[in-house]
Amino acid sequence: MEYECPACGGSLTFDSKSQKIKCPFCDSEYEISQFEENDGMNWEVRPGSQWDEGEESSMEVYSCNSCGGEIVCEDTTVSTSCPYCGNPVVLKGKLSGMLKPDYVIPFKLDKNAAKAALRRHVSSKKLVPALFKDENHIDEIKGVYIPFWLFNANVSANMNYRGERIRSWSDSKHNYVEHSYYDIYREGNVIFDNIPVDGSLKMPNDLMESIEPFDFSEAVEFKKSYLAGYMADKYDIDAKDSIDIANNRVKTSTEDIFRDTVGGYSSVIPQSSVVNLQHGSAQYALYPVWLLNTTWQGNTYTFAMNGQTGKFIGDLPMDKKAYWKKFRMMAGIFAVIGTVLAAVIDYMFV
Amino acid sequence: MRKQILLIAVSVFLIIGFFTVSVTAAEAGSGKVLCLDSAYCVKSDEDLAALNDKLNDISARQNCEVVIYTTNTFDGKTPTDYADDYYDASGYGWGKDKSGILFVINPQSRDWAISTCGFGITAFTDAGQEYMVEQMSGALSENDYLTAFNQYADLCDEFITQARTGEPYDNGSLPGEEKDINLAVDIIIGLVIGIIIAFIIVGTDKAALKTVRRQADANNYIRSGSLRLTRQHDNFLYKNVDVTERESSSGSSTHTSSSGATHGGSSGKF
Repeated sequence: MEYECPACGGSLTFDSKSQKIKCPFCDSEYEISQFEENDGMNWEVRPGSQWDEGEESSMEVYSCNSCGGEIVCEDTTVSTSCPYCGNPVVLKGKLSGMLKPDYVIPFKLDKNAAKAALRRHVSSKKLVPALFKDENHIDEIKGVYIPFWLFNANVSANMNYRGERIRSWSDSKHNYVEHSYYDIYREGNVIFDNIPVDGSLKMPNDLMESIEPFDFSEAVEFKKSYLAGYMADKYDIDAKDSIDIANNRVKTSTEDIFRDTVGGYSSVIPQSSVVNLQHGSAQYALYPVWLLNTTWQGNTYTFAMNGQTGKFIGDLPMDKKAYWKKFRMMAGIFAVIGTVLAAVIDYMFV
Repeated sequence: MRKQILLIAVSVFLIIGFFTVSVTAAEAGSGKVLCLDSAYCVKSDEDLAALNDKLNDISARQNCEVVIYTTNTFDGKTPTDYADDYYDASGYGWGKDKSGILFVINPQSRDWAISTCGFGITAFTDAGQEYMVEQMSGALSENDYLTAFNQYADLCDEFITQARTGEPYDNGSLPGEEKDINLAVDIIIGLVIGIIIAFIIVGTDKAALKTVRRQADANNYIRSGSLRLTRQHDNFLYKNVDVTERESSSGSSTHTSSSGATHGGSSGKF
């Protein structure tokens, strides 16, 4: 196995005296861990806790015949339609086989706030078909507790970069550009708290990531009474299957935050990056989300609002006619302005 | 009655005075041979005379002598030295600072040289001289010296007029480098600008419809102040310097002729 020196490109050798990897050409020294190719990202997962006696039996599971979605309601809440597809749901039986969530962030914004946010969302966008604005059934918006895996981790990482500084000057005959190259190394730790990863198969990950962030400081220990009047989803992706998403986000953020500590260069090129997780753990929590599905011209458009912060998202269809109409109008106006400007500039330089 | 006589007398006096001044000026202008064709480049005497008149007219009007000299020998000197010496020896130049420009042609060796003096140095920059010779090169290469000399005279006239405005033709401001108004081009530019801006606007509207996006990072979940760097270094490795030549400078370069006068000028082959 041969390693290349990140500084000069020479072949590295192990130096027994310093117990480090050393470059015989430029005398740079490196930690052995720097040349371990794999990031060590191991998690300790604690998937929820056990229910208190009698708690589980007062929860009912409804199932949707159309999309197969399963939702959980407290027995005082009567659920009639599926939050994912809008079709009727049927009572399947008492809850069983699901672990109790560790935490819940209670709904902070009510249905009226969600309806107002949806109206604002649609009316603030141009190019939305007029028909769409009339057709949406905003009264159908539903509050659903979505299961999330929360990942916590202490991360230790080391990064190597190649930096370049450029200085230029000139005399009467020549221009000079000086390129100076630097070997940059950063090693350290950073802590991540409660990175949420959606644990529901029916809930698209991009939709749930779009309404982030949730403020975990407002989370409380789970009690079933928080479910009253709302629906809840059961997790059907377990923590282990959600880890890859959390790992990628941790790695990206760690690289970003380390990169931000490197300054004063005109260009910085990463050479190597090693990210190791320590004390990685996952917890199970329910987060509040307002959901609405609208079917238009055969397609389903899902809108979601963060029930804690009010952040509202949802892709809207585009009216192609409105698009081209606006394009022609804008092109006409700016072509005239552009021509006048071009002629004026032309005139001024003659 | 006496008033009328006085008026007539004053008028007559003014008219006579005017003609006297005009005649003096005309004599001064046409008195010199400003195109001395020793190498017989111009075939017809009438053409040569017309050319001389033209040069005299420009020189008088511009207060800067525009001179042409053809020769078959440089007497062993470099074209530039020869031109400078000829200019000094022949007493060319307008006013105290001997303002003028001399164009020397040797049809045998096919050399040309330009010597400038006084205001001529200001008016004919290095880039300006290059431009003038370029304009004449077509006629010169076909041995059509009369056309070349007429072009030279016209160009000199134009260059001096321009220099009187305080901004002589130079690198970046030569006649060919100016823009002409071209409405068709302006409309095309306007259309392109319009289409690009319209695409940006509707593109922005279209992009606003999409609000669902994946999150690539977990920046929101970094515990604030938890970043601790335990080791870091920024080690200098090596450097290199790229050297490029600067673009040719503008303005007029000068040198001193054997008589000690300061001349601008240039020379070359045609």
